[in-house]
Formats: sequence, structure tokens, C-alpha cells
Amino acid sequence: MDHLGLWIAGFLTLGIYSFLYRDNPWYKLSESIFIGVSAGYWVVTEFWQNFVGKFWDQKGDDPWLWIGAVLGLMMLMRLFPKIGWISRWPLAFVVGATSGFWMMNYLTTNCMAQVQATIIPLLGLGYEASAVMIFSNIVLVVGTFCGVAYFFFSKAHTGVFGATARVGVWTIMVTFGAMFALTIMNRMSLLIGRTSFIFGEWLGLIR
Amino acid sequence: MRREIPLGITIFVGFLAIVSFFSPPLEGLGEDFTLFFDIIAVFAFFLGGGNLVRLHLTKLLKKKRDWGFSVVTLVGFFFMLAAGLFKIGNPGDISASVTAQGSLFATLYYNVHLPLSSTMYALLAFFVASASYRAFRAKNREATVLLLAAFVILLGSTPFGQLLTNWMPGGIDILEIPNLAVWVMSSPNLAGQRAIMIGIGLGVVSMSLRLILGIERTYLGEDRG
Amino acid sequence: MIASGCTAGAERFGSYLKLATLATFLIPIVGFSAFAQENSVVSADSVAVATVAPVTSLVVEDYRYDDGENLALTWVPSIDDQPVGGKVVGYEIFQITDSGEPEKIADVLPGVSSFLATGLHAGASYRFYVTARAETSSAPSVISAALTPHREWINWGLWNLMLTALVVGGSVMFFIETARRGHELFVRKIAGLEAVDEAIGRATEMGRPILYIPGIQDMDDVQTLASLTILGRVAEHAATYDIRIRMPVSRSLVMTAARETIKAAYQAAGRPDAYNEDMVNYVTDEQFGYVAAVDGIMVRERPATVFLLGAFFAESLILAETGNSVGAIQIAGTARPAQLPFFIAACDFTLIGEELFAASAYLSGEPKSLGSLKGQDVGKGVAMVAIVLGVVAATLYALTGAAWLQAFGDWLVAMFTIAS
Repeated sequence: MDHLGLWIAGFLTLGIYSFLYRDNPWYKLSESIFIGVSAGYWVVTEFWQNFVGKFWDQKGDDPWLWIGAVLGLMMLMRLFPKIGWISRWPLAFVVGATSGFWMMNYLTTNCMAQVQATIIPLLGLGYEASAVMIFSNIVLVVGTFCGVAYFFFSKAHTGVFGATARVGVWTIMVTFGAMFALTIMNRMSLLIGRTSFIFGEWLGLIR
Repeated sequence: MRREIPLGITIFVGFLAIVSFFSPPLEGLGEDFTLFFDIIAVFAFFLGGGNLVRLHLTKLLKKKRDWGFSVVTLVGFFFMLAAGLFKIGNPGDISASVTAQGSLFATLYYNVHLPLSSTMYALLAFFVASASYRAFRAKNREATVLLLAAFVILLGSTPFGQLLTNWMPGGIDILEIPNLAVWVMSSPNLAGQRAIMIGIGLGVVSMSLRLILGIERTYLGEDRG
Repeated sequence: MIASGCTAGAERFGSYLKLATLATFLIPIVGFSAFAQENSVVSADSVAVATVAPVTSLVVEDYRYDDGENLALTWVPSIDDQPVGGKVVGYEIFQITDSGEPEKIADVLPGVSSFLATGLHAGASYRFYVTARAETSSAPSVISAALTPHREWINWGLWNLMLTALVVGGSVMFFIETARRGHELFVRKIAGLEAVDEAIGRATEMGRPILYIPGIQDMDDVQTLASLTILGRVAEHAATYDIRIRMPVSRSLVMTAARETIKAAYQAAGRPDAYNEDMVNYVTDEQFGYVAAVDGIMVRERPATVFLLGAFFAESLILAETGNSVGAIQIAGTARPAQLPFFIAACDFTLIGEELFAASAYLSGEPKSLGSLKGQDVGKGVAMVAIVLGVVAATLYALTGAAWLQAFGDWLVAMFTIAS
């Protein structure tokens, strides 16, 4: 990274960090640069990768791609108020395709695969489970069952069902605690990375 | 007709997408639709980029608050756009990769875009501290369970956790913090994840059917049906 | 007359000697050749002789449930294909089409006894043979009979997925119809959704805007669609109470859809004049560039209410914490479990996973929408029953060894296993 680029990067880095104290012109400057440069970056990337790479260079081999192009042009009709209603057609296409594909995808991976994985013998395969494994299997099955019960909409969380839902909530809270802890460790390593950039690469105080 | 046709498109395409799962000749539709979406999204960039330019130009021309920063945004945007679309400073010609080393686009990316992005990402470490303080105040039983699970996982990943409980005899070594952390991840955490995922899957099915059947149609600018 | 007798004897000895000499040379030569033949020893013209055994029992079958583009080959490997000391270094697969010219289509490793020929055309005829390869020789198999791959229009291998989709989807549609006919359907209270009215009311009292963040993904993500359906309900309330909506987005398509949604909501609330398309503006596709902009909006405009509904990644924490720091009431929801803990820590109300997708139906209060929630519950009931029955069957089988329990448990697992 050349010297000037290093200083620009360092300046902008500290500008972003200044937000931790309060909003200030330095942060606003860094934010404005970030928005402008990143928006330009994505327009360029999408143009070369998707428009040129996936459509323009392929249109001769795959005429069906013109459907996407026509839908895209319909999108631009929003710029003309009198015929702006045409832009609803590509939106409708996107919504229909997204709904249909993800519906089956989620049914398969989120529902069926999870149920299948939960059907296990509590005493382990071959009846060789240790006490810990038996307990683990019970926790896994009961926790999943109660967690699903928590999300029931048709029944109020009262009585026995309410107790089941409560166990489900606790199970879900353990999940959230685990996720939280894993993320904390990950974020700390990011901070170490940026700190080493500032004090090492930029200011040269750490070798 | 201005509303019926889009609704018909949603219904048709939605059912086609579902049927394609079960019909081998239609299996490739998923990839085709993804391609169409990518192309539509590129055209939509004209609208988004145009909106960005119009918004900041308006601020600039009407001298609204912080209009000076709008100048910075517009300059950054057009500079990056020109650098990338015309491949300024690119060692190869217009057919070379836009991110080729030495190009103005790559220089801006590595010296401006990347450091800013990494720094924003690194802010998370600071925010996680304040979030932890709030999460770990354990105001109720659920929060206590969350707190305990997080502590076990955190300690289990450090030598300190090993040090705290390595005196445990062999029979109950599952209670050693590192082992307990592994157990928490593989049993109750997994149970909770599965329950959430099953719920999400069914929620997606229900919402998708509402969209495909036209019960939900707000995105089309429909009146309530 | 000794000479004549000696001559006759000498002649006989000479004959015997010649015979013996001949035998001495012939016997080893003949024996050696026989030995060489039995062991396929290379003769003087060595390359022409096959020294590796070919594969046998080559079977070609139509691959089930495809578009007529695959044929499945299986064979018995060469007897020279041994893990230790084997001669086979690989197999070559050859395909013969109507043109008659063999074309090599693949090389496979030793030990492999099957191959899927792909890229074929339904209705065309194909033949195959497999050649076992050694270091310096090869041996082709018998050419298979001609076979035509067939196109199946329905993948019956996914019968269980079809059944599940019919049960769940059918339940949703059944209860939608039931609700439409006027049957009362009970739906329990969801705290986060009950608070939406209160959150919007707070914005009215404080005279500050509502900030709506629909996540950072595009319209091809179901969470974004869910967020936009909720946006319609929120916008209608906001229009009624004359509250400004501020909605920066990170995707151009989402901007377009959100504008349509809010415009329709304002029309439905009888306030079309109050709609302004600048309520929704595009920022940037860059994840953290968008976050930087939203953070700036939060601290400068200080919204009274923040909705964080949709697909979020690492930026969820920054957004939620910043919103918390400006004193906004925050309602968040996502279907990404990894981000939920941060929303729970920093937001006043959190919609967990499925609740995000149910929110729009819940907020609308419309019978048809509420009916779909009942259908979801049927799916959950099926899952719970399957888990209980399957676990009990598997556990009892482990205890008793009863074959019918194993069969039942296996059937249940097969019901939820998707064939690849």
C-alpha cells in the first residue's frame, strides 16, 4: 500500500472511530466518502459482472436472457409517470420467483431435515450410550420439542402447554447465549486487526 | 388490468417455481430465474444511483444542512464510477479486469473502501461491550439462562476456563468448563437452533403462500384486499 | 567284419544322440512357451498382447427421475484391480453414439465400479464400454447394448416432500378458507407486535419520525419480502397519525417496492397527498457504508421509533446499539439466529424467526391472513408428533430389538429424508 494511500486509510479509519465519541464533521466526512465510493464501486461491479458478464456477453448463446433484459427495461419505466405502472411487472416476477423457490427450499432444509436429524434413539445407537450421552440426547429431543411448542400461535401459553413453552424459551435462550459468546470472540479479533493496522502498518509503533 | 396482470405474474411464476422442484425438465428454472434477477437488479441500479445523485444534488442546490458533505458524496461516487466504467489507469485495455492491480479503481478500493469497511466492522467490538453489559444484567430467568450459557462458552474457549475446573475427577469431567462448553454447543444450543429453524421454515411457507395466492399484495401498490 | 557292425551301431547311436539333442532343446522351448502363454508372458512382439483383465458385467441403466440426460453405468472391476500389487491404474469410459465413433468421456480411479454419464439427450441412443488400463496395456470390456435415456416429468423420488408440502400448504389454505367463511380463530398475543401501535403512538407524541430499516438484502430474500409486508401495515398507521417515515435502503429494487408499498398504504389510509417518494431513498449496496449512513441518520434526526425488520448480518449490533443510544423505542426481527441475541440485548421488542413472517398477518387482523397462522401450527404439530413417535420407536427398538419398531422408525426417518 503506497504511503499516501496508507495515510488516507489511517485518516478515514480514525474518522469512523470518532463516532464512538459523538457525531462530528470528521465522521461525516468519512461517512460521505464511504457512501459515494462504495455506491460507485457496486454500480461498476454489477455493471461488469452482471450486465456485461451475465447478459451482454452471453446473449448470443442464450436468447432466454433477453427476458431478464426486457424485465429490467420495464423497471426503468418508473422514470416516466404515465407508464410507470409497467415497473410492477418485474417486481411481481421477483416476488413470485422468490416466494416459490424459497418456500420449497426452507421446507426441505429448515423443516424436514431438522425433524429427521432429531429422530434419534435416546439410549444411543447399539444401546451403548453413556449416562452423559443419554442425558444429552434427552436434552436435544426435549429442547427441540419444547422450542417448537413455544412458537405455537393457536394456543395461549398457559397450564401444561405454558410450562412446555417455558422450557422452550430457556432452550432458545441457551442458543442465544452461545451465539452471543461466539460473536464476542469474533468481534474482538476484528478489533485486534484494526488496532494492529493503526499502530503497526500506519504509525509503525508496533513491529 | 394494471394490478391484475402483475398479480397474475406472481401467481404463475410462484407456482412454476414450486412445480420446478418436482419436475426434472424444469429443474434449471431456478438458475434461469436467478440470472434474470441479477439482470433486473443491474437495471434497477439506474434508479438507485439516480436517486442518490438527485438527493444529494438537491441538498447541494438548495444549500440544506451539511450540503458540503453531499458534494463529497457526489465527487466520490462519480470518481469511482468513472474509474471503473472507463477502467482509468488500468494496465490492460478496456477488456482487462476492472480490479486489475495498478488501476485507479483498485487503488480507491484498497485505500478508501476497504479500510472504511474494515473499520466499521471493527466498531462491533466496542458495541458488543455495551450490548454485553445490557444483556448480562440478568433481570429475569430467561436473561440469566442466556448469561450462563454465554459465560460457559466464553470461558470454555480460554485457558482460564481450563484452569478453573481441571481439578475435576475423571467421572465428572463433563463439568470441566471446556467440556461443558462443547456439550452446551452440541445439545441445548442445537435443540434451540432446530426449533427456531423449524419455525422459520413453516413461517416462510405460510408467507410465501400468502404472497403467491395474492392475499398479501402491498408491494404491488394494491389497496387492501 | 567289425567295421560294418560298428557303423550300424554308430548310426543308431548317432540317431539316438540327435533325438536326445532335439529333445533337450525342444522340451524346454515348448514348456517355456506353454508357461509363457499361461502367464501371459510378453512375447517378442510384447505391446500387442493384453496383460490386464477387462471389467465384466457392464450394466447400463436409465437414471431415474431426470430430464433424460443421464445414464448410470455399473461394472465388476477387473480381477487385476487390487489395492496392493494390482495392475490396474484406472478405467476409461467410452461412449458410442449414433455416429458410431467411440468417444472417451471420463477417466476414473481403480476401485471404482460405477459412473454416471451426463449431458446426454433424451431419445438418443447410447452404448458404452469400459477399458481397464495398466501401465503398458489396456483391455476393453464388451460393448453394452444400446440404451435410450428417458425423461421423467415428475420426480416421484421426492414423494415425501410432495406429501409434506401438500399437508402444510393444504392446511394453510384450508384455514384461510375457514377464516374467510367467518370462523373465529384464536391467535395468542405476540408482545413485539402488540407494541407496534404503542411505538407509532410514541412517534406521534414526540413529533419525531419513524425509521424503518428493511434489512440489507435484496428482493430475492424472503426476509425482505416479510419486512415489506409489515411495512405496509406500519405505513398505514403512520399515515393515519401523520407521522413521517424515514426509510433508507441498501438495494435499488427494495427502494422501488417500498415506494409502491408506502404509496398504497397512504392511499388506503385516505392520505395520498401526504405521501412523498423521498421517504424512501437509496444509500449504497455496501453493507457497512449503509450502516454508516443509517447511524448518521439516527444520531442526527433522532427518530422516536426504529423498526429493524429483515435480513441482517454483523451490522445488526451497530444499528441496534446506536438506536438504543438515541433513546428510540426499537422493534426488531430477523430469521437469522446469529443476530437475534443482539436484538434481544439492545431492542425493546424482538420478533424471533417465525414471528417475523407471521407479523404481517397478525398486524392486519384479516381473517384470511390469520388463517394462514393456523396452517403453520399444523405443520408444527406434525413435526412434534413425528419427533415423539420417531424417538420412542428408535429408543424402544434399542431396548427390545423388535423388528417392527425398527421398520416403523426407519419409515418415519425416510418420510423426512430428501433423496438427493
